[in-house]
Amino acid sequence: MIEVEDLTVRFGGVVPIDAMTLELAAGTCGLIGPNGAGKTTFFNVLSGFVRPSTGRVRAFGEDLLAIPDFKRPRWGLRRTFQTEQAIAELSVFDNVLLVHEHTGGDRATRRGEVLKAVSFTGLSDVAHRLVGGLGAAQRRLVEVARAVVGRPRLILFDEPGAGLPDEETVRLGELIRQIPEETGALVVLVDHDMSLVSACCATTAVLDFGRLIAAGPTAEVLRNPHVVRAYLGTEEEV
Amino acid sequence: MPGLDDLKPFLVLGLALGGVFAMNGVGLVVLYRATGVLNLAYGAIATTGALISWSLLGGVNQWIAYAACVAFGGAVTLAYGLVFGPPFAARDPLVKATATIGLLLILLGVMLWVWPPSTTRTYILPTRLHYYEIADVRVNWTQILGMIFPVVVTAGTAVFLRVTKVGTAMRALADDREITAMLGVPVRRVEAAAWLGSGIVCGISGVLLGDLVGLDIVGVTFLIIPALAAALIGRLHSLWVTLAAGFVIGIVQSCLTAFTRVHIGARPLADYRTITPFVLAIVALLFFARRRPLVRT
Amino acid sequence: MTTDIHTVAADEVVPAAPVAPAGTARARPLRLAIVAGLIAFLLFGLPPLLDSYWMLVVTGAAIYSMVALGLGLLIGRVGMVSLCQVVLAAVGAWVALRLSYATSLPFPVLVLCAGFVTAAIGTLIGLPALRLSGLYLALITLMAAGAITIVLRAVLFPNGGGGFFGNSAAGGASSRMPRPSLAQTDAAYFRYCVVVAILMFLLAAWHVRRKPGRAWAAIRHSQATAISAGVNTVLYKLWAFALASFMAGVAGGLLAASAGGVSVQQFPVETSVTLLAVVLMGGVYSLWGAVVAAFLLRILPALLDDWGVSTELLTILFGIGVLQVLMTAPGGLADQVPKDLAKLGRRIGRVFSRREAAA
Repeated sequence: MIEVEDLTVRFGGVVPIDAMTLELAAGTCGLIGPNGAGKTTFFNVLSGFVRPSTGRVRAFGEDLLAIPDFKRPRWGLRRTFQTEQAIAELSVFDNVLLVHEHTGGDRATRRGEVLKAVSFTGLSDVAHRLVGGLGAAQRRLVEVARAVVGRPRLILFDEPGAGLPDEETVRLGELIRQIPEETGALVVLVDHDMSLVSACCATTAVLDFGRLIAAGPTAEVLRNPHVVRAYLGTEEEV
Repeated sequence: MPGLDDLKPFLVLGLALGGVFAMNGVGLVVLYRATGVLNLAYGAIATTGALISWSLLGGVNQWIAYAACVAFGGAVTLAYGLVFGPPFAARDPLVKATATIGLLLILLGVMLWVWPPSTTRTYILPTRLHYYEIADVRVNWTQILGMIFPVVVTAGTAVFLRVTKVGTAMRALADDREITAMLGVPVRRVEAAAWLGSGIVCGISGVLLGDLVGLDIVGVTFLIIPALAAALIGRLHSLWVTLAAGFVIGIVQSCLTAFTRVHIGARPLADYRTITPFVLAIVALLFFARRRPLVRT
Repeated sequence: MTTDIHTVAADEVVPAAPVAPAGTARARPLRLAIVAGLIAFLLFGLPPLLDSYWMLVVTGAAIYSMVALGLGLLIGRVGMVSLCQVVLAAVGAWVALRLSYATSLPFPVLVLCAGFVTAAIGTLIGLPALRLSGLYLALITLMAAGAITIVLRAVLFPNGGGGFFGNSAAGGASSRMPRPSLAQTDAAYFRYCVVVAILMFLLAAWHVRRKPGRAWAAIRHSQATAISAGVNTVLYKLWAFALASFMAGVAGGLLAASAGGVSVQQFPVETSVTLLAVVLMGGVYSLWGAVVAAFLLRILPALLDDWGVSTELLTILFGIGVLQVLMTAPGGLADQVPKDLAKLGRRIGRVFSRREAAA
């Protein structure tokens, strides 16, 4: 359970997140909103790249903001970015190994756990190939493997399907749906692809201009007129 | 310990030299702010120009010879900016600065080849022949120019950046190149103006340095260090702080020449005086590091 | 310039390493055979061919390959530029000389001590700069290099004189450390240096293939990548700096015992800049780049000198090389030459297969 309390982020005159209060329950949660709504900024606060002006974040009862940024993965935080993060000159195995060895993974079971994460994402065949030689979909899967290796507790996916063709996105969605059961982690998914969000997420929260405007079961939220208006704008009667 | 009387001549020289450091520092900072390039070849450009002047002296009117140095500074800097500016525009400042090391080496090689260090070369600016006696110290016009020019250049640049269209565009560029371009500002032309301006300042400093310290190729090429130190103390941003820092470095370094009787180990303090810019720059950098959180990118 | 904390794009000095299209390690046995053959030639085939002047030159090249290796690791693996590598070698030489006059420790211990002290000094230099961007690190190393050079010029290298600095005017301008008993002759000492260099390369390879190398790859990709993988970026950057400084220190220790000894004139400011140029040209991604860099820095100038060609042209060439590498050939010569040779090999192969088809 993630409890966000009165979170505010200010960059000079811009306020990307404004007094946001939110609860994320177990399983897979969606986080949607128009561009600039503050979703990536929220992830950056969770990752430790951005310091909020006010507010608290409690993750599984612990104060997440008190943990130094590079120690959060060891605590159990994993994250993907909108841009590619897989390291081209390392192999798939080494990319995942990197995360395991820096997040307090047990050395005795290291190899097994890395291979397990690699096979979970279906990359066993190319485990020892350099990531630079793989296609875009497979490179995204490497990032998913990095997210699930070891003992993740909170996984943040930031538009994981961006730039992928539809079949790949569907496959990715099926994979993401299995993650909470496989790993016990809480997954938060940010994306613009509503079919992906509907397929994966039991609950969804909606941000607009840094504020939370709706939260609840995904199907209800997607029908909510405020949400529709935030995305499409309102009609003006002239 | 030397007294004030002993220090006075060094004070004057220090002000003049410091002035040139300051002027170069300001040239470096303006260019960095407008283009993101820290031009490490600055000293080499100035020295090459001065050597060109030296070669021309005797053959042509001396004013043309000195103007050649200024023109060379402007031309080479502008040419570099036009050719190597765009390809590196999107890259990290570290890469841009490293690229200027390429220019530095090219010029260094050319200088050592065309003007072999076997002979000492000097010239005397006409301004050195006129002097005043102030408080028992002889101050010649070259030194006065070394003190005044930087202040004029700094003030002029500050006004230029704030008041003129091109200057405002330069400040916008420093902030965000892409947005500035999208606003319709002719980015390439503004950058070219920054390169040219920086180069002309470099050329002027070359003329003055040739008179103030002589034409030792390697020595003058690496005179960029004090200018760099001044620019660093100004956080690569503030013109006036850079100016002040340049003067301070020049004065301290020059005055240390008088400390021949204070010793560190077996050597007099005076032998260590060229360490001044390094020490001041390191102290400044340490001070800035203290106040910043760990940079993310 | 704005520091965009959201940027996850790579910010290294040279773009990420060119990746082989097949994506797997290249033919290992062939490479090992070539390397073994080269080493055998260096150890046994080369020394008899050289006179004392050239022996000095190639010994210098072997030693400087370690300095270049350290810098190459910093730039290519971690994306950090240091302009004080050569000066740190001078520090290493200084420490080794000082210890050799003050104690009677065996030669390898002296060299190791030189390495460790230099590593400590290097770490001190790099430490404050970690909070600042890559450009500031480069500048702080430049400033440190200048400061140390000036101090060295003033105190000179120890030559057995009294006091902490250990220099006496009567001792002469250059000082030399006594060599280990099993490497007294110039040829033997050359072999000794080659063996130490090989050990350094093995040390580098160990780092690159294991945890530090992976952590550095993450750091080079971007700070955000490294942090979100749990990498302690400060620790690993310092480790890289310490390693590079250690190599420079060991190299300095070896220089102290080379024929002719060390003098302050051997470490001018320009050499640090030139080293950067040749390391970039040699290729910062492959460990072979350090070998190429040492060749460019020490052997090529001596060759040109022999042929009566002006070495200033080399400086100009290095300047052009820097610009070229940064703009177009990020892998440098160590990457480009094998590729060109492979291309040539394929062309020749095609000629033969065409002939067969025609026949």
